[in-house]
Amino acid sequence: MMKKGIVICCVLLFGLMMAGSGIASEKPVKIGFVYIMSGPFATYGQFAKQGAELAIDELNKAGGINGRKIEAMFEDSTGKPDVGIRVIRKLVYENEVDIVMGIDSSGVASAVAPVMNELKTPLIITHAATPDVTGDKCNRYTFRISLNENQNMAMAAAVATELKAKTWTTAGPDYSFGYQSWEYFQKYLSKKKPDAQFLPTSEVAFSPSATTDFSSFISKVMNSKADGVLISLWGGNLIDFVRQAGDMGFFDGKREVLLTLGAATEVLYALKEKMPEGLWVGTRYWFQANDTPINKAFVDAYFKRYAVYPSYNAHGAYAAVKAYAAAAGKANSVDKEKVIDALEGLSLELPVGKITIRAEDHQAVTDGVWGKTASDPGMPIRILKPIKFFPGKDITPPVDETGCHMKK
Amino acid sequence: MAWGGFQTTCIKIPLNPPFSKGEAVVFISGGNCRTHDCSGVFDRNFSVDAFLINLLNGLSWGMLLFLISMGLTTVFGVMGVLNFAHGSLFMLGAYVCLQLMRWSGSFWIGLLLGPPVVAALSVFIERFLLRPLYGRDTGFQLLLTFGIMLFLDDGVRIIWGPAYHVVNPPVMLAGVVHIFSQTYPVYRIFLVILGPLVGIALWAFFTFTRWGKILRAAAMDRQMAEIIGVRVPMLFTAVFAFGAWLAALGGALAAPHQSVGPAMGERIIIESFIVVVIGGMGSFPGAFIGAIILGLLNSFGTTLMPNIQMALPYILLTVILLTRPKGLFGGET
Repeated sequence: MMKKGIVICCVLLFGLMMAGSGIASEKPVKIGFVYIMSGPFATYGQFAKQGAELAIDELNKAGGINGRKIEAMFEDSTGKPDVGIRVIRKLVYENEVDIVMGIDSSGVASAVAPVMNELKTPLIITHAATPDVTGDKCNRYTFRISLNENQNMAMAAAVATELKAKTWTTAGPDYSFGYQSWEYFQKYLSKKKPDAQFLPTSEVAFSPSATTDFSSFISKVMNSKADGVLISLWGGNLIDFVRQAGDMGFFDGKREVLLTLGAATEVLYALKEKMPEGLWVGTRYWFQANDTPINKAFVDAYFKRYAVYPSYNAHGAYAAVKAYAAAAGKANSVDKEKVIDALEGLSLELPVGKITIRAEDHQAVTDGVWGKTASDPGMPIRILKPIKFFPGKDITPPVDETGCHMKK
Repeated sequence: MAWGGFQTTCIKIPLNPPFSKGEAVVFISGGNCRTHDCSGVFDRNFSVDAFLINLLNGLSWGMLLFLISMGLTTVFGVMGVLNFAHGSLFMLGAYVCLQLMRWSGSFWIGLLLGPPVVAALSVFIERFLLRPLYGRDTGFQLLLTFGIMLFLDDGVRIIWGPAYHVVNPPVMLAGVVHIFSQTYPVYRIFLVILGPLVGIALWAFFTFTRWGKILRAAAMDRQMAEIIGVRVPMLFTAVFAFGAWLAALGGALAAPHQSVGPAMGERIIIESFIVVVIGGMGSFPGAFIGAIILGLLNSFGTTLMPNIQMALPYILLTVILLTRPKGLFGGET
């Protein structure tokens, strides 16, 4: 018995060594991912991880980056800035990653962007939307491939201009993202519609991220005189809010409702038919928004592998990996500085459409989508119908308005 | 009311047609506020239905808080253990209820059978993890319960995944009722009614039953109880399981009220600790009153003073600790 066990162990060990040596012949390219993997926003991390793994497997099957295999490492930022900084330091110093990708929370993004300068490692933000990191906190090492808040609010204002609502209020998270969304929305909407009214800050509803009972915030909005509501809640907060608001008669047609991040499939899958129809929802990527072969291939491969439709966060991670591969291919190297030079001004075709990463502020000029929620008997979740498509160049503010002064 | 001390709050109440036309003004605290002279941030048009709905919002959250705080305060009162994992037991109660609902198709089965499952798990926790630590410094207990919390939080994520799950209330509680011009979910009203019922049942249990009396005796003087023949180790197991049952009951009741997700215990456990301190550690009426105060602070605070709403529970906590360090009902058991 004993002998047999030893023999099996030896065979296994030998097999492992063989397999190991096969990989070790060429050092892999290491990508570190930082997403929220726990708490009320954990589904976003899960989708992002799926998107990243899909992109990496596709690339590895096609020979990797410049002939080298790609290896992924995932860390949980927990949505807290200090933890975000800590795990990025760990990825760079301990795991020696070639690039960092991810970041869901704007709070974390603002905190880590300056750190990348010090770590001399590129970061591609795939979700966090704060304008700061490609604005006055921009730096050589920080890129963003997803839409930022400026762009999203420009779209929200364009949608709001065509609605009947005269007085607007907001329900958002009680941290910078909620406040900035509200600020940009007011800025863009009052430009397009000078007679639009906005409730003062004391009358709008900002809820702490840990809130699970939104009833008092919902009542506050319902009892205000506003007939339009901009909702910038996301993740579990948005699920709880929509769910409870539905029970309380919030979606009774008396007010126009814009959910700035409502078309996240994470949220749509959780709510299913509890997501009311006829709400305007925004997203950085919608899987049905275009028919390009590259989008179809992405959606099909994603659905086949995970049995769900990809969310914008899944797309963000997928897109960042593909953009990195393109930049490394262009530079013919994974040297951090050379990759950065290649990322600047890079144009490539992604499932979302054609994007260009501006060299001046490192923000991607990428198309955005808003749409009205509708039911489709053939789909497990709410879909968007009609879909409003916004070309990236129309919604992206010019570089001199961003406040970014890149130091070379 | 507790916020009265900070700022004069003036509420205009437009009376709805069935009553009369016109406005009434309510002074929440003293000050020179005349009918048409209510300027400043705290001036709100506050209709009767808005007031009622805020009241219900506050009470329904308060009742969930009460169930959690009740378990927390019992375990502390009798065993002297501050259980950090209590919020995780709340969350586990919601997940187990969800799972039982999926299997059986009935919310009531989840509500009836879920909490005992969690209680059974906590018997194991008490017997094999907590018990070896009773003789030691309380710091060890804190560390252990904190560890259990992390373990349960991650365990739930591994078993059920990070996604949120939406649970429908049972059919008979699914509708809405009309309150003047607004609608309100029946399920929340069910919570508001159920809370005091559970409270009364617990009070009767502690006052009239033999077990209840033994529990109170052990809480007052553990050593004396042991000397007169109470089997304290078994009692501790029972009390810990009872606390867990209450937490899980709260979780199961919260499932259709919010949604079931990995972080649902975080907020409620922090507020429950505040409730327990405000009401008085180990005090049952304290937990009830404290939970109602905190629930109402939440709902009215959001509407009336949004700028400091988040800080209100902590301000109250500070005031209580400075003026009545043992809590409102401290010293009574």
